[in-house]
Amino acid sequence: MLTFLRKRAVGSLISLIGLVVLVFFLSRLTGDPTALFLPVDATVEMREQFRALHGLNDPLLVQFGHYVRDLLHLDFGDSLRKARPAIEVVTEAFAWTLQLALITMSIVTILAIIIGALAAWRGGLFDRVASILSLIGASAPDFWVAIVGIVIFSVSLGWLPTSGTGTVWHWILPVAVLFIRPFGLIVQVVRGAMMTALSSAYVKTARAKGVRARPIIFVHALRNAMLPVITVIGDQAAALLNGAVVIETIFGFPGVGKLMIDSILQRDFNVVMAAIMVTALAIFLMNVLIDIAYALLDPRIRH
Amino acid sequence: MGKRILAWGAAAILAGLSTTAAMPARAAGTDIRIVLPEDVDLLEPCMATRSNIGRVIFQNVNETLTEYQARDDGGDLQPRLAETWEQQPDGSWRFHLRQGVTFSDGSAFDAGDVKHSFDRAMSDQISCETPRYFGGMTVEAVVVDDHTIDFRADPAQPILPLLLSMVTIVPAETPVEFVRDPVGTGPYAVSEWTPGQRIVLTRREGCWGAEPQVTSATYVVRPDPAVRAAMVQTGEADLAPSISLIDATNPATDFPYLDPETVYLRLMHDVAPINDVRVRKALNMAIDREAFIGTLLPEGAQLAVALFPPTTAGSNPAVQVPAYDPEGARQLLAEAKADGVPVDTEIRLIARTAQYPNVTEVMEAMQQMLTEAGFNVKLQFYEVAEHESFYTKPYPKDQGPYMLAAMHDNSRGDPAFTMYFKYDSEGLQSGMADPKANDLIARASAATGDERVRLWQELVAYLHDEVVADVLLFHMVGYARVAERLDFRPSIATNGQLQLSQIGFH
Repeated sequence: MLTFLRKRAVGSLISLIGLVVLVFFLSRLTGDPTALFLPVDATVEMREQFRALHGLNDPLLVQFGHYVRDLLHLDFGDSLRKARPAIEVVTEAFAWTLQLALITMSIVTILAIIIGALAAWRGGLFDRVASILSLIGASAPDFWVAIVGIVIFSVSLGWLPTSGTGTVWHWILPVAVLFIRPFGLIVQVVRGAMMTALSSAYVKTARAKGVRARPIIFVHALRNAMLPVITVIGDQAAALLNGAVVIETIFGFPGVGKLMIDSILQRDFNVVMAAIMVTALAIFLMNVLIDIAYALLDPRIRH
Repeated sequence: MGKRILAWGAAAILAGLSTTAAMPARAAGTDIRIVLPEDVDLLEPCMATRSNIGRVIFQNVNETLTEYQARDDGGDLQPRLAETWEQQPDGSWRFHLRQGVTFSDGSAFDAGDVKHSFDRAMSDQISCETPRYFGGMTVEAVVVDDHTIDFRADPAQPILPLLLSMVTIVPAETPVEFVRDPVGTGPYAVSEWTPGQRIVLTRREGCWGAEPQVTSATYVVRPDPAVRAAMVQTGEADLAPSISLIDATNPATDFPYLDPETVYLRLMHDVAPINDVRVRKALNMAIDREAFIGTLLPEGAQLAVALFPPTTAGSNPAVQVPAYDPEGARQLLAEAKADGVPVDTEIRLIARTAQYPNVTEVMEAMQQMLTEAGFNVKLQFYEVAEHESFYTKPYPKDQGPYMLAAMHDNSRGDPAFTMYFKYDSEGLQSGMADPKANDLIARASAATGDERVRLWQELVAYLHDEVVADVLLFHMVGYARVAERLDFRPSIATNGQLQLSQIGFH
């Protein structure tokens, strides 16, 4: 297992280095940030001073050399817009994204597995209702659901705050809206995988031996059906770790998704680079966890 | 076992919900909550003329020597940290400072602070907004005594007191780098700033001037206009300075105000066929401006004949909006064509995505109107950075004829903040080179009093009627939602500042 993890770490490090080089040069291709930082009527002198102050007059390779040198000292540079260390700005935002992703994916995973497994086992009306609802969930546009949720639960009923952070109540609407799509998707995958598992020979044998329904579903069938489910859970969690831009925008959540978009549009390069590295690292760690889960579930992978 | 775990889990969640908070606290008493559309990335006093920063700290935390009080019916310059000022025989300006004023860190305010504030804001060691207002001149601050300071400008600046209404004052100890904890002489101090979440300003005790009614203001940011409007409706906020037209449905809480932004099409005069004045006139006649108001644009938007708001001294009421006359436009184009002007050449109409609500529909309608009048117009939308490359010199070369749809903000009370940049041959965003316009700009900029107003009016008429410099379109309006418990009405100033001392309670 350790060898496996070491190999994954080396592979991810190479990918990360490639990503840094690619993003550094691609982001610079969009132009220099002077025009976006300074007001439109800034004088020529102001523009020149700004470029000199931030090293934007240096050749691109020299800028890259400075960046790599600083990076080796774990200095990601300062945010141009916020005048503070870029890594500080990113980790603050990422902490919010991580909380949102963890809470949402925990609830999604537990409920989707239960509903998906039961739908496959029981069939009939339960299956049809679960399938239709999960399909609707998987295809519902989240910005629309979010606004409708605010209108109903905040403006009309007054049960929940419209947006923001601070109390448990503030988390309910964003988590509920974020929940819908991955939940719909994972229920579908669990249902499909479970139907295959439940029709297999070992389940029929267990039934013939008189094993009760719960152990058949949650011990015998589910364990074998989990491999594709874990892959989809990983994909959905990675999407959330990259930030939920719509949710962050509507609910005023200070997450990394909106930060990244704003930084790209404002050419705040240091923040873009730091955000990409932090999210890439998080996704790498998550993939490692998924690999471990694979190995735990399927002994063939371990060996 | 499973049931017991579920029961414990449910109990824990319920306990968490009941103890952590009931519903979020509503603003009450004399504490207010303000919901802003843009994140505040800096709280740097020398950047306070940027609207997202200015709405929080300008005049609330950091004050200026003079204050331009913009109102919908005009505006005037008022004393703030300077009590009086006068021009010296050598053209310099002497300011007599208010005494007994202290900063929020307890230190006393004096002329040394003013000099440091000015030198810091103009320094090439930080990228403040301030130098934009002092282009083409050198200005030196000279301390006369603790309560008197001279500003010597070369060339002499008749509007120097107005220019100083953009320079915020900080203590002499403030480093020449962006700060995150602004110290000022204003009636409020920053008591909390959690980036991305909230900023809290708290009223200072014993500050100079009348004590404001608002004791504290909490600022939060919500980019979505519908959410901002909903927050005031539900009582989560008291004031949303910017909501969208479609959310402005309650006359008791939603108020329009004149926005200092003016929408126009900047024309490039050096490329055919736009280099022909008949073509420029035809462009102006081909657009039915009235048709946009109350449909794609808010009811209160006004038709523009200058690039600054009509409340500015120097506006010329005699200049009339061009009548919508597509037939006349076609005739002018035919005349130009007969003289060999290539009027059939494709002209690009370049606009910026999401620049203002309905910009796509507005531009498409304009393209349609221009096409019906005989123009060959291609509409192109760019993101802000690409749009900016067409907006400011050096312009991209060999682009062929194009019109740039743009917005310009001048809430500073004088056409000088517009005219040089937009119409002088050397202006960074000028599309023309006209010696008479250059001369008028230079003379008006150097003149004072009635002569200054007269020269600006002459320039406005010349640019609009004779040069036909551009296609001026609309002075925009914004909407604010104000909780009924507040005694506050938004004005043209609301776009760039929000003075808490001007907010009362019913």
